[in-house]
Amino acid sequence: MCGRCEREQIEMKRLLTVIVVAAALITLPFWAGDQYQLHIAALIGAYWVLIAGLNLVVGFSGQLSVGHVGLLAIGAYAFAIIAGTHGIDPWLALAASGGIGALCGFLLGLPSLRLPGFYFAMATLAFALIVTELVLAFEGLTGGGVGLSVPSFPAPFDTSEGNYWLILGMAALVTWLTWNVARLMWGRGLIAVRDSVVTAQAVGVPVLHAKLAAFVFSGLTAGLGGALFAVIQSYITPDTFLFELGMFFFVCIIIGGRGSIIGPFLGTVVLTALPELSAPLAKLGNFFYGLLLLLVVLLLPEGIGRLFQIVLERLRPRRVESVPIAPQPERLAAAIKVGQR
Amino acid sequence: MNTTALQASGVTKRFGGVTALSGVSLELRAGEVHGLIGPNGSGKTTLLNLLSGYYKPDEGQVLLGSEDLSQRPVQARAKQGVARTFQKPRLLPSLTVLENAMIGGWRDTRSGFLASALALAGARREERELRVRALELLQGVGLGHVADRRANLLEHAEQRFLEIARGLTGRPRFVLLDEPAGGLTGAEIEHLGTVIRVMRDCGIGVLLVEHHTDFVFRICDRVTTLDLGRMIMHGTPAQVRADPEVIRVYLGA
Repeated sequence: MCGRCEREQIEMKRLLTVIVVAAALITLPFWAGDQYQLHIAALIGAYWVLIAGLNLVVGFSGQLSVGHVGLLAIGAYAFAIIAGTHGIDPWLALAASGGIGALCGFLLGLPSLRLPGFYFAMATLAFALIVTELVLAFEGLTGGGVGLSVPSFPAPFDTSEGNYWLILGMAALVTWLTWNVARLMWGRGLIAVRDSVVTAQAVGVPVLHAKLAAFVFSGLTAGLGGALFAVIQSYITPDTFLFELGMFFFVCIIIGGRGSIIGPFLGTVVLTALPELSAPLAKLGNFFYGLLLLLVVLLLPEGIGRLFQIVLERLRPRRVESVPIAPQPERLAAAIKVGQR
Repeated sequence: MNTTALQASGVTKRFGGVTALSGVSLELRAGEVHGLIGPNGSGKTTLLNLLSGYYKPDEGQVLLGSEDLSQRPVQARAKQGVARTFQKPRLLPSLTVLENAMIGGWRDTRSGFLASALALAGARREERELRVRALELLQGVGLGHVADRRANLLEHAEQRFLEIARGLTGRPRFVLLDEPAGGLTGAEIEHLGTVIRVMRDCGIGVLLVEHHTDFVFRICDRVTTLDLGRMIMHGTPAQVRADPEVIRVYLGA
C-alpha cells in the first residue's frame, strides 16, 4: 500500500473517531443516568479546561507546577466578584477571569521559571498557599471563610444541561488550541526544553520565552476553568481550593503521560469519575489516587496514553528492519541549496 | 556567495585554576573542511563550545565576519547560521526522526505562540515548508526510510546522521561537528565523508573535531592541531602530518 493512501486512511479514521466522540459528548445529557452524572461530566470538563493548558507546562515543557489550584481560585473568585458582587455581565466576567489568570500566570512565571525543576515546583506550591491566605485576609472582597455565592450564566446556559454544553464547548476550544500548539513548531520547542535544554539552545529555541508562553497560556485556561468550576459549585469558600486539588491536576497529567493530550484527558476522566461513581471507592479516594500513581510510576512511566500507543503498535506491527544509511549526494546538495536562496 | 569567516581570535578559557585554552586562533572559512585534532584534553571541545556559544571566552573574541559574537547567547548562533552537532548525540527521544530534523529549522519560525495555538495560515504554511525541507534533507543524508520512526529507536549511526540533518535544516553557513565519526563503521565513515563533501561544495564551512586522523587528513582542506590548550600546528593535511611536533604529541611515530 502506498504511504499516502495509508496516511489518508489514518486521517479518515482519526476524523471518524473525533466525530463519534463529539456526538457522544454532545448527547451526554440525554443518555447520562442522572443529574449527578451530568454534574460529574461538567466537573471533568471544567477541570480539563485547566489541565489542558497545564499539560503544555507539565507534559510538554516539563515544568513541574503543583500550584495551579491557586490560579483556579483566582479565576473562580474573579468571576464570583465581578459577576456576583458587582453584577456585571457573566460573559465579560468569564473573559476577565481568563485575562486575570493569564496576568497572574505571567507574574508568577516570570521570576519562578528561571529556577531549576524542584525549586520551581516549590515556588508554585508557595503561590497556591499564599492565594488561600489572601482569600481569607481580604474578607470584604472574598467573603473570607464564609465564601461567596456564584451566579450562573444567562439562559440557555442556566440549566445543568446548558451549563454542561457551555463547558463542553470551552473544553473543545481549549483542546483545539493546545493541540495546535502541540503539533506545530512551538510544541516541538517545548519538548526540546523538557528533554534537552542544550539541544533547544543549539537550534535557537528561546528557552525562557517558550516556558513563559506556555505558562501564561496555562494561566489563561486556569482562569477560565476557575470561572466554570465556580459556576458548577455555585458557592465557593477557601476550602474549595485545597492544595490537594493542585496535586490532583498534576497527577492527572503524570498518570496520563507526558507529551500527549489524550493521555492526560483520560487521566482526568478516570481520576475524577471513578471515585465518584462507585460508592466503595469514594471512601478510598486518596488511597485510589495513591495506588494508581504508584502503579503508573513503577510500571508505565510514560503514562496510560503511551499504553494506548503500545497496544495500537502491537495490533499493527511494523517491521523495524535495519537498512544501511546511504546518502544521496545530489539530492542533499539540492536540498541545501534550496535553503541558501 | 558566502565569503565571511567564523573566527576564534586569541581566545583563552580558564576553568578555576586550569587553563583549558590559551590564546588560540582559528579561522573557519566558507566552503572549506577544517580539521581540529589533538590528544584528549587538548581543548578541542572547549574551542567548539566557545565557537558555538556555550562558553564565553575569558580573553579574545569569537567573530563572524567582523561581528563580535563572544558575549552573545547560544541561540543567537542558530539565527546567524552556525549549527553544531554533539559528541554524544542529543536528540529528542519521544519525537519522530522527521520532527527531530524539523526542530533544527527553528530560526525560520516567525509565528508566535498565539498564532500557533490558533493555527493561523502563516503558522501552517511555515510548518508545511519546514516539513518538506527537513524531509528532503533526511532523504539526502540517507535517513528518508526512517522519517516516521521514534528517535529513541535509532541506531547509533542513524543518530549521528540525524544530528547533521537537524543542523542543515537551520540553513547554516557553518557547521561544527564534534567527533561525528565516533562509533561509526568504516562504510558509515565513508558516507559521512560524502555528506561532509556535499556540505563543503555547497559553500558551508565545516569544522571537524575528530580522532580518526586518517579520515581527517583525507577529507580536510586545512587542519589545526592543539595540545594542552595551545595551537601547535596549522596548515594543509600534508604539512600537519609531516610536522615533528604533531607526530611527537599526537600521531606517534
